[in-house]
Amino acid sequence: MKTLHMNKIMAIAQVKTKAFMGKNCIIMPLFALGFTLLMRILYGKMANGGSSADSMNAYALSMGLVMNIGMCGIYCTSLLLAEEKEKKTLRVLMTSSVNGMEYFIGCILPVFTATVILNYVLMPVSGYIISGKNLVLYSVVTILSSLISCIIGMLLGIFAKNQVSAGTITTPVLLVLMMVPMFSNFIEILSTISKFFFTGILMDMIMDIAADKGSVLQAGSVVIMVVEAVLAVGLFVVCYRRNGFERD
Amino acid sequence: MSREYIRLEHISKKYKTEPVLKNIDARLHEGEILGFLGPSGAGKTTTIKIITGQLKQTSGEAYILGINSRDIDETIYEQIGIVTDNSGIYEYLTVYKNLEYFAKILRVKKDRIDEVLRQVGLYEQKNKPAGKLSKGQTQRLVLARAVLHSPRVLFLDEPTSGLDPSTAIEIHKMLLELKRQGMAIFLTTHNMEEATKMCDHVALLNEGVIVEYGTPKDICLKHNKIKKYAVRLHDGTEHLLEQNQENIGRIHNWMTENQVETLHSCEPTLESVFLNVTGRELS
Repeated sequence: MKTLHMNKIMAIAQVKTKAFMGKNCIIMPLFALGFTLLMRILYGKMANGGSSADSMNAYALSMGLVMNIGMCGIYCTSLLLAEEKEKKTLRVLMTSSVNGMEYFIGCILPVFTATVILNYVLMPVSGYIISGKNLVLYSVVTILSSLISCIIGMLLGIFAKNQVSAGTITTPVLLVLMMVPMFSNFIEILSTISKFFFTGILMDMIMDIAADKGSVLQAGSVVIMVVEAVLAVGLFVVCYRRNGFERD
Repeated sequence: MSREYIRLEHISKKYKTEPVLKNIDARLHEGEILGFLGPSGAGKTTTIKIITGQLKQTSGEAYILGINSRDIDETIYEQIGIVTDNSGIYEYLTVYKNLEYFAKILRVKKDRIDEVLRQVGLYEQKNKPAGKLSKGQTQRLVLARAVLHSPRVLFLDEPTSGLDPSTAIEIHKMLLELKRQGMAIFLTTHNMEEATKMCDHVALLNEGVIVEYGTPKDICLKHNKIKKYAVRLHDGTEHLLEQNQENIGRIHNWMTENQVETLHSCEPTLESVFLNVTGRELS
């Protein structure tokens, strides 16, 4: 087991925070905020048709969350890793006494933190506030989802040589993780598949909270999320051991 | 006796079936500069990657600071610095912040940042975004970062490639000062003038094989088989004369008659030795 040095992790996290604030990345959380607000307004108008405003706002929240977790957690993490390769700073860093685990933690820390914070900010933006016991469940599921998405982002980042290829590689994964839950209401098979995605579990949970169901999170769903987290870590470790952060 | 910092014993490397290094032996001691001289593709960068643990050799052993390169981990980088011609910089950070980042990672005191910036002549640009530096300034920043933690061994892979002569001279001055302070420098270059000026020992590398090894002077003298002299007389005529009884007599007469303006012995340069030994040019 490698020794972890906090000075190195924090130094990497500080620089990654600065990179995250760059124009290529910061647009993603802003996009998630804007998208949620837009959905709230659009669904707010639709609510007059019959569905309750609360339920529509909850739907806007669930869509915003999936958007945030996908675009911020997966895309930004992958993009930041790809940028280091493109600018040839990754090898410099890895030959400056930083080990793989320190770099991994330092990289995902700012994006993970931003994703988690935004998950809470999206509540007032969507107009749907969750409280009490459900807020605890909301926290557990969104935090776990954000973590899985950041690990997937790092995993995909291994295969991206530059920022353009990061976009190319992450887009199909993002589409699947975001679109399957979003369209699960309309296509039955997608509804079944969506139950096996952490993004689908998250959306279902929000809608179940809005529907005031007694049990909003199934034990099976928790198991699926944990398995996905373990799988993401496992895949990442296998790919990292084979190629490091650079697949060349 | 100065301490041995790098030892290469029969290093060979194959990529799939293609050999890129064949039976390489070399030594580098404290306060010395060892140059690996060869054209592109000769195996210079591969050698650096093997010594620094970024690449595993096919056979042979490499030792850095007494540790087998197969056993080193990232902690070795606290004692070595690496400059390559494609070492990147953080363009969105200022010059100072670039160094501060690595100072935090390597636990270097902040006072050292200004000291190094003055050393490489970038102190005036410390608050400038690194992305706005010229190529020469960027290379100096990369060098500043590599020596920030005062490493015991510095690897320089084509450090002055593409730089203007004045910047190259500044970098040479800095390297000689670092050498004087005891740093061991492993330099790869295809610039024979740079190698002659800087290196205590050079290895001429061609297609993965060291074809000559020694001090630049010894190598040149070893290949000085037909001794020649270039003579310029006051009347403007120039003569290139081989050493034999007849020409010794001619030179003697010119000197007696005070006709000689300049007289130089014509030892081969590293470049001509390389050409002679391999049939290839360095660059």
